[in-house]
Amino acid sequence: MRLTRRRLIAAGGLTAAAAALPAAAAPPVRVRIRKFAFDPKTVSIKAGERVEWVNEDIAPHTATEDNHLWDTGELERNGSATLTFDTPGTYAYFCAFHPKMKAQVIVTA
Amino acid sequence: MTFRLLSAAVLAGAVVLPAHAAEPMNDLEIAHTAYTAGQLDIRYAHLALAVSENADVRSFAETMIRDHSAVNSAAVDLITELNVTPQDNDLSRALVKGAADKRAELMGLSGNAFDCAYAQNELGYHQVVNKTVEDSFIPAVTVAPLKELLTDALATFKVHEGHAEQMVSNLQCG
Repeated sequence: MRLTRRRLIAAGGLTAAAAALPAAAAPPVRVRIRKFAFDPKTVSIKAGERVEWVNEDIAPHTATEDNHLWDTGELERNGSATLTFDTPGTYAYFCAFHPKMKAQVIVTA
Repeated sequence: MTFRLLSAAVLAGAVVLPAHAAEPMNDLEIAHTAYTAGQLDIRYAHLALAVSENADVRSFAETMIRDHSAVNSAAVDLITELNVTPQDNDLSRALVKGAADKRAELMGLSGNAFDCAYAQNELGYHQVVNKTVEDSFIPAVTVAPLKELLTDALATFKVHEGHAEQMVSNLQCG
Protein backbone atom coordinates (compact mmCIF):
# COMPACT_ATOMS: atom_id res chain seq x y z
CA MET A 1 0.00 0.00 0.00
CA ARG A 2 1.42 3.33 -0.96
CA LEU A 3 0.82 5.95 1.60
CA THR A 4 1.60 9.57 1.35
CA ARG A 5 1.89 11.55 4.52
CA ARG A 6 1.97 15.24 5.04
CA ARG A 7 2.20 16.45 8.56
CA LEU A 8 0.73 19.89 8.90
CA ILE A 9 1.36 21.37 12.26
CA ALA A 10 0.10 24.87 11.65
CA ALA A 11 -2.27 26.73 9.43
CA GLY A 12 0.70 28.05 7.52
CA GLY A 13 1.77 24.51 6.77
CA LEU A 14 -1.68 23.73 5.50
CA THR A 15 -1.56 26.56 3.05
CA ALA A 16 1.89 25.66 1.82
CA ALA A 17 1.02 22.02 1.30
CA ALA A 18 -2.29 22.76 -0.35
CA ALA A 19 -0.58 25.01 -2.82
CA ALA A 20 1.60 22.14 -3.92
CA LEU A 21 -1.36 19.91 -4.73
CA PRO A 22 -2.83 19.58 -8.22
CA ALA A 23 -5.69 21.97 -8.77
CA ALA A 24 -8.14 19.13 -9.33
CA ALA A 25 -7.27 17.30 -6.09
CA ALA A 26 -10.32 16.73 -3.93
CA PRO A 27 -10.10 18.15 -0.43
CA PRO A 28 -9.30 15.53 2.18
CA VAL A 29 -11.98 14.04 4.37
CA ARG A 30 -11.49 15.56 7.78
CA VAL A 31 -11.51 13.63 11.02
CA ARG A 32 -11.66 15.80 14.10
CA ILE A 33 -10.05 14.53 17.26
CA ARG A 34 -11.88 16.02 20.21
CA LYS A 35 -12.82 14.95 23.70
CA PHE A 36 -10.68 11.86 23.25
CA ALA A 37 -12.62 10.52 20.27
CA PHE A 38 -12.27 10.44 16.50
CA ASP A 39 -15.16 12.22 14.80
CA PRO A 40 -16.48 10.65 12.64
CA LYS A 41 -15.50 7.19 13.80
CA THR A 42 -15.80 5.81 10.26
CA VAL A 43 -14.83 7.56 7.06
CA SER A 44 -15.31 6.06 3.59
CA ILE A 45 -13.18 7.23 0.69
CA LYS A 46 -12.13 6.04 -2.74
CA ALA A 47 -8.63 4.82 -3.45
CA GLY A 48 -6.33 7.76 -4.04
CA GLU A 49 -8.26 10.10 -1.76
CA ARG A 50 -6.99 11.61 1.44
CA VAL A 51 -7.92 11.79 5.09
CA GLU A 52 -6.88 14.64 7.32
CA TRP A 53 -6.79 14.32 11.12
CA VAL A 54 -6.98 17.48 13.19
CA ASN A 55 -6.37 17.35 16.94
CA GLU A 56 -8.58 19.77 18.87
CA ASP A 57 -7.70 18.37 22.30
CA ILE A 58 -5.04 19.75 24.60
CA ALA A 59 -3.53 16.29 24.93
CA PRO A 60 -1.43 14.98 22.04
CA HIS A 61 -2.89 12.16 19.97
CA THR A 62 -2.03 9.92 17.04
CA ALA A 63 -3.97 8.02 14.42
CA THR A 64 -2.14 4.71 14.21
CA GLU A 65 -3.24 1.76 12.10
CA ASP A 66 -3.86 -1.32 14.26
CA ASN A 67 -0.95 -3.20 12.68
CA HIS A 68 1.16 -0.07 12.40
CA LEU A 69 0.83 0.03 8.59
CA TRP A 70 0.57 3.78 8.89
CA ASP A 71 0.75 6.42 11.58
CA THR A 72 0.19 10.16 11.65
CA GLY A 73 2.86 10.62 14.28
CA GLU A 74 2.20 12.78 17.32
CA LEU A 75 -0.34 15.51 16.74
CA GLU A 76 -0.19 18.35 19.21
CA ARG A 77 -3.14 20.64 19.85
CA ASN A 78 -4.35 22.09 16.54
CA GLY A 79 -1.85 19.93 14.73
CA SER A 80 -2.93 17.97 11.68
CA ALA A 81 -1.71 15.25 9.37
CA THR A 82 -2.97 14.11 5.98
CA LEU A 83 -2.56 10.62 4.55
CA THR A 84 -3.38 9.39 1.03
CA PHE A 85 -4.86 5.91 0.74
CA ASP A 86 -4.20 4.13 -2.55
CA THR A 87 -5.11 0.56 -1.63
CA PRO A 88 -8.71 -0.53 -1.00
CA GLY A 89 -9.40 -2.05 2.38
CA THR A 90 -10.72 -1.41 5.84
CA TYR A 91 -8.15 0.13 8.11
CA ALA A 92 -8.85 0.11 11.82
CA TYR A 93 -6.80 2.55 13.79
CA PHE A 94 -6.38 3.91 17.31
CA CYS A 95 -4.54 6.56 19.28
CA ALA A 96 -1.20 5.14 20.34
CA PHE A 97 -1.28 7.32 23.47
CA HIS A 98 -4.90 6.60 24.44
CA PRO A 99 -5.67 3.15 23.03
CA LYS A 100 -9.37 3.27 23.87
CA MET A 101 -9.77 5.80 21.07
CA LYS A 102 -10.64 3.70 18.02
CA ALA A 103 -11.97 4.37 14.52
CA GLN A 104 -11.62 3.15 10.93
CA VAL A 105 -11.01 4.24 7.37
CA ILE A 106 -12.79 2.32 4.60
CA VAL A 107 -11.16 2.61 1.18
CA THR A 108 -13.04 1.38 -1.89
CA ALA A 109 -11.79 0.91 -5.45
CA MET B 1 -17.08 28.25 48.33
CA THR B 2 -14.95 26.20 50.61
CA PHE B 3 -12.75 23.25 49.92
CA ARG B 4 -13.90 20.85 52.58
CA LEU B 5 -14.52 18.28 49.87
CA LEU B 6 -10.80 17.98 49.42
CA SER B 7 -10.66 16.12 52.67
CA ALA B 8 -10.55 12.69 51.20
CA ALA B 9 -8.65 9.52 51.83
CA VAL B 10 -9.51 7.89 48.56
CA LEU B 11 -7.51 4.79 49.09
CA ALA B 12 -5.87 3.64 52.25
CA GLY B 13 -2.66 5.57 52.47
CA ALA B 14 -2.88 6.64 48.85
CA VAL B 15 -4.15 10.16 48.59
CA VAL B 16 -5.03 12.39 51.45
CA LEU B 17 -5.74 16.00 50.80
CA PRO B 18 -6.34 18.28 53.72
CA ALA B 19 -9.61 19.89 54.66
CA HIS B 20 -9.72 23.54 53.71
CA ALA B 21 -12.39 25.61 55.30
CA ALA B 22 -10.46 28.73 54.51
CA GLU B 23 -11.39 31.69 52.36
CA PRO B 24 -12.64 31.00 48.84
CA MET B 25 -9.82 30.60 46.37
CA ASN B 26 -9.45 33.20 43.66
CA ASP B 27 -8.67 32.55 40.01
CA LEU B 28 -4.93 32.92 40.46
CA GLU B 29 -4.86 30.50 43.37
CA ILE B 30 -6.93 27.98 41.44
CA ALA B 31 -4.60 28.31 38.46
CA HIS B 32 -1.60 27.74 40.71
CA THR B 33 -3.15 24.70 42.34
CA ALA B 34 -4.22 23.10 39.07
CA TYR B 35 -0.76 23.65 37.59
CA THR B 36 0.88 22.25 40.71
CA ALA B 37 -1.30 19.15 40.63
CA GLY B 38 -0.19 18.50 37.06
CA GLN B 39 3.48 18.99 37.87
CA LEU B 40 3.24 16.60 40.79
CA ASP B 41 1.73 13.91 38.62
CA ILE B 42 4.57 14.38 36.16
CA ARG B 43 7.01 13.79 39.02
CA TYR B 44 5.19 10.61 40.01
CA ALA B 45 5.46 9.49 36.39
CA HIS B 46 9.19 10.10 36.22
CA LEU B 47 9.59 8.02 39.36
CA ALA B 48 7.56 5.23 37.77
CA LEU B 49 9.78 5.28 34.70
CA ALA B 50 12.83 5.05 36.91
CA VAL B 51 11.55 2.13 38.97
CA SER B 52 8.93 0.11 37.11
CA GLU B 53 9.69 -2.59 34.57
CA ASN B 54 6.02 -3.21 33.81
CA ALA B 55 5.23 -2.18 30.23
CA ASP B 56 1.69 -1.04 31.02
CA VAL B 57 2.79 1.02 33.99
CA ARG B 58 5.57 2.61 31.98
CA SER B 59 3.20 3.38 29.12
CA PHE B 60 0.77 5.00 31.55
CA ALA B 61 3.57 7.07 33.07
CA GLU B 62 4.68 8.24 29.63
CA THR B 63 1.10 9.28 28.89
CA MET B 64 0.94 11.23 32.16
CA ILE B 65 4.11 13.11 31.28
CA ARG B 66 2.92 13.83 27.75
CA ASP B 67 -0.62 14.92 28.63
CA HIS B 68 0.07 16.88 31.81
CA SER B 69 2.95 18.65 30.10
CA ALA B 70 0.59 19.65 27.30
CA VAL B 71 -2.05 20.93 29.73
CA ASN B 72 0.47 22.86 31.77
CA SER B 73 2.02 24.30 28.63
CA ALA B 74 -1.41 25.59 27.67
CA ALA B 75 -1.74 27.03 31.17
CA VAL B 76 1.56 28.86 30.82
CA ASP B 77 0.46 30.23 27.46
CA LEU B 78 -2.75 31.50 29.06
CA ILE B 79 -1.15 33.19 32.04
CA THR B 80 1.38 34.76 29.70
CA GLU B 81 -1.42 36.04 27.50
CA LEU B 82 -3.34 37.37 30.50
CA ASN B 83 -0.14 38.78 32.01
CA VAL B 84 -0.92 37.47 35.47
CA THR B 85 1.00 35.50 38.09
CA PRO B 86 -0.60 32.47 39.73
CA GLN B 87 -0.61 32.64 43.50
CA ASP B 88 0.81 30.00 45.78
CA ASN B 89 -1.63 29.01 48.47
CA ASP B 90 -2.30 26.58 51.31
CA LEU B 91 -3.82 23.95 49.05
CA SER B 92 -0.91 24.04 46.61
CA ARG B 93 1.51 23.70 49.51
CA ALA B 94 -0.48 20.83 50.96
CA LEU B 95 -0.41 19.06 47.61
CA VAL B 96 3.34 19.47 47.36
CA LYS B 97 3.86 18.17 50.91
CA GLY B 98 1.53 15.22 50.37
CA ALA B 99 3.22 14.28 47.12
CA ALA B 100 6.68 14.45 48.69
CA ASP B 101 5.55 12.06 51.40
CA LYS B 102 4.02 9.71 48.84
CA ARG B 103 7.14 9.76 46.66
CA ALA B 104 9.25 8.87 49.70
CA GLU B 105 6.96 5.93 50.32
CA LEU B 106 7.06 4.81 46.70
CA MET B 107 10.83 5.02 46.55
CA GLY B 108 11.01 2.31 49.19
CA LEU B 109 9.17 -0.13 46.95
CA SER B 110 10.05 -2.17 43.89
CA GLY B 111 8.54 -4.72 41.52
CA ASN B 112 4.84 -5.43 41.78
CA ALA B 113 4.59 -3.66 45.12
CA PHE B 114 5.73 -0.44 43.49
CA ASP B 115 3.51 -0.92 40.45
CA CYS B 116 0.44 -1.46 42.59
CA ALA B 117 1.20 1.44 44.91
CA TYR B 118 1.85 3.75 41.97
CA ALA B 119 -1.28 2.64 40.12
CA GLN B 120 -3.50 2.98 43.17
CA ASN B 121 -2.08 6.37 43.95
CA GLU B 122 -2.70 7.51 40.36
CA LEU B 123 -6.30 6.35 40.59
CA GLY B 124 -6.87 8.05 43.91
CA TYR B 125 -5.04 11.20 42.90
CA HIS B 126 -7.05 11.62 39.73
CA GLN B 127 -10.31 10.88 41.51
CA VAL B 128 -9.71 13.60 44.08
CA VAL B 129 -8.26 16.15 41.68
CA ASN B 130 -11.03 15.56 39.13
CA LYS B 131 -13.75 15.99 41.71
CA THR B 132 -12.12 19.17 42.94
CA VAL B 133 -11.70 20.61 39.45
CA GLU B 134 -15.25 19.72 38.45
CA ASP B 135 -17.14 20.61 41.62
CA SER B 136 -15.10 23.49 42.96
CA PHE B 137 -12.58 25.02 40.56
CA ILE B 138 -14.64 25.26 37.40
CA PRO B 139 -17.74 26.73 39.09
CA ALA B 140 -15.59 29.22 41.02
CA VAL B 141 -13.41 30.55 38.23
CA THR B 142 -14.46 33.91 36.86
CA VAL B 143 -12.15 34.31 33.87
CA ALA B 144 -13.66 32.61 30.82
CA PRO B 145 -10.42 31.36 29.20
CA LEU B 146 -9.32 29.77 32.47
CA LYS B 147 -12.71 28.11 32.89
CA GLU B 148 -12.40 26.79 29.33
CA LEU B 149 -8.89 25.49 29.96
CA LEU B 150 -9.95 23.73 33.16
CA THR B 151 -12.90 22.19 31.34
CA ASP B 152 -10.66 20.86 28.58
CA ALA B 153 -8.13 19.67 31.12
CA LEU B 154 -10.82 17.86 33.10
CA ALA B 155 -11.74 15.87 29.99
CA THR B 156 -8.12 14.76 29.80
CA PHE B 157 -7.88 13.95 33.50
CA LYS B 158 -11.06 11.88 33.41
CA VAL B 159 -9.54 9.71 30.71
CA HIS B 160 -6.51 9.30 32.95
CA GLU B 161 -8.75 8.25 35.82
CA GLY B 162 -10.34 5.55 33.66
CA HIS B 163 -6.93 4.45 32.44
CA ALA B 164 -5.64 4.26 36.02
CA GLU B 165 -8.66 2.23 37.08
CA GLN B 166 -7.94 -0.25 34.29
CA MET B 167 -4.27 -0.37 35.26
CA VAL B 168 -5.12 -1.18 38.88
CA SER B 169 -7.47 -3.91 37.73
CA ASN B 170 -4.92 -5.43 35.36
CA LEU B 171 -2.21 -5.50 37.99
CA GLN B 172 -4.40 -7.64 40.26
CA CYS B 173 -3.05 -5.95 43.34
CA GLY B 174 -5.60 -7.54 45.65
